Amino acid sequence: MGLVPPLAIRSVLDNARVIAGVFIFAAVGVLSGCASLMPQTKELAKALPAGLPEQVELTATPFFPQTEYQCGPAALATVLVASGVKVTDQELVPQVYLPERKGSLQVEMLAAARRHGMVSYQLAPRFEDMMREIAAGTPVVVLQNLGVFSSGWHYAVAIGYDYQKGTLVLRSGTQERDVMPFAVHEVVWMRGGYWAMVTVPPDKIPATADENRWLAAIAALERAGDARSSRIAYRTFLGRWPQNVNAAVGLANTHHALGELSEAETVLRKAAATAPDSVVVLNNLAQTLSDLGRDQEALPFAERAVAAGGPFLGSAQKTRDSIAARLRSKTGGIERLQ
Amino acid sequence: MKSSWAKLLCRLLMVLMVWSPVQFAQAGMIGTDQVVTAASQTDRTTVLEFLGRADVATQMQSLGLDAKSATERVAAMTDSEVQMLAGKTNSMPAGADSTGIILLLLIVGAAVWWVWFRR
Repeated sequence: MGLVPPLAIRSVLDNARVIAGVFIFAAVGVLSGCASLMPQTKELAKALPAGLPEQVELTATPFFPQTEYQCGPAALATVLVASGVKVTDQELVPQVYLPERKGSLQVEMLAAARRHGMVSYQLAPRFEDMMREIAAGTPVVVLQNLGVFSSGWHYAVAIGYDYQKGTLVLRSGTQERDVMPFAVHEVVWMRGGYWAMVTVPPDKIPATADENRWLAAIAALERAGDARSSRIAYRTFLGRWPQNVNAAVGLANTHHALGELSEAETVLRKAAATAPDSVVVLNNLAQTLSDLGRDQEALPFAERAVAAGGPFLGSAQKTRDSIAARLRSKTGGIERLQ
Repeated sequence: MKSSWAKLLCRLLMVLMVWSPVQFAQAGMIGTDQVVTAASQTDRTTVLEFLGRADVATQMQSLGLDAKSATERVAAMTDSEVQMLAGKTNSMPAGADSTGIILLLLIVGAAVWWVWFRR
């Protein structure tokens, strides 16, 4: 007997897969009465959530057939191009692919989109939210686990559904139009905690955006260093939620970062009128005025920030001290001149 | 000995690389990311945070990236994302591919669908 030829190993493996398949088939058959296996599909089968069309497919979504292991770059390129970015999957490989892991991490999928000026937003773990995004014209990256014995994490892009047939349409791997029953998608999607994300241009707001989580998504873009795009995103945000003081702080911070100090001042003064006790607003207004060379005017705001206290007291004290020091050195200079 | 010194040096350089672009930005202003993430509503614990970033960048280097791209990739993350990754870059799900198994799942799916929607 010689060595077992590779083909034979493959067929043994395939057999193992088929056996596993039969087992799962049986298990699923037995369990399908049990709601816990696919709770959301069961819920969905009762009725289509209000306001959703029966059938959608974003046929204009581009397709990047993945090369080996690189579904992360392919899926990300698909949604980025759909949101108007000029990029290819190959250009994204050095931004999301981890060679030793032979794959891409979820955090990096979110982070890499920011490097292209998009706001990346993780959806609430719900079928309905995914469908709402698709219905609003936004393709959704989903993380599935297709493995039976080993882990088989895989990113695909959901681009449509047909409620009557109970199927989801995905750009997945090498398949341009992968049609998957809701139930199967739920089984493989659930294993990753129903993880899903969208990438959205800064002048738009996702259909399912939650006020606080969307604001955090914009702040993440700002943190990544894209002040221009996040400035647009904060403006768009304030158009929808004008009372949000934190968004005003964000808008002012982007103005400040771009050197637009008087714009920052205007935004912060307006915010200070709405939230007169916000340490952050007072501190940042004081700092902005000081940067404009108006330390005299800045000091009272800095004092108020310190008086308001709270978790940012340390920063407020530093700001006040530096403004006071600048004032002292200025007046000291004048006294010497006299 | 030599390699541990080299490691230390690498780490220091990494900390500096991660640190420098952020350090000079907007002195005195409280950052929006600090304000909106409810979990970390305090003054940023600067040193610890940058060490965390350097840590993740080092881990990513050990997974096949060069220092520059590891640093750039970490720079695009939020503080909470960095914390999430710290020490776990090797165990977190990494989406790759599993095309061979899709067919199998389709069969399973068809069965489920049959049971579910045709009842």
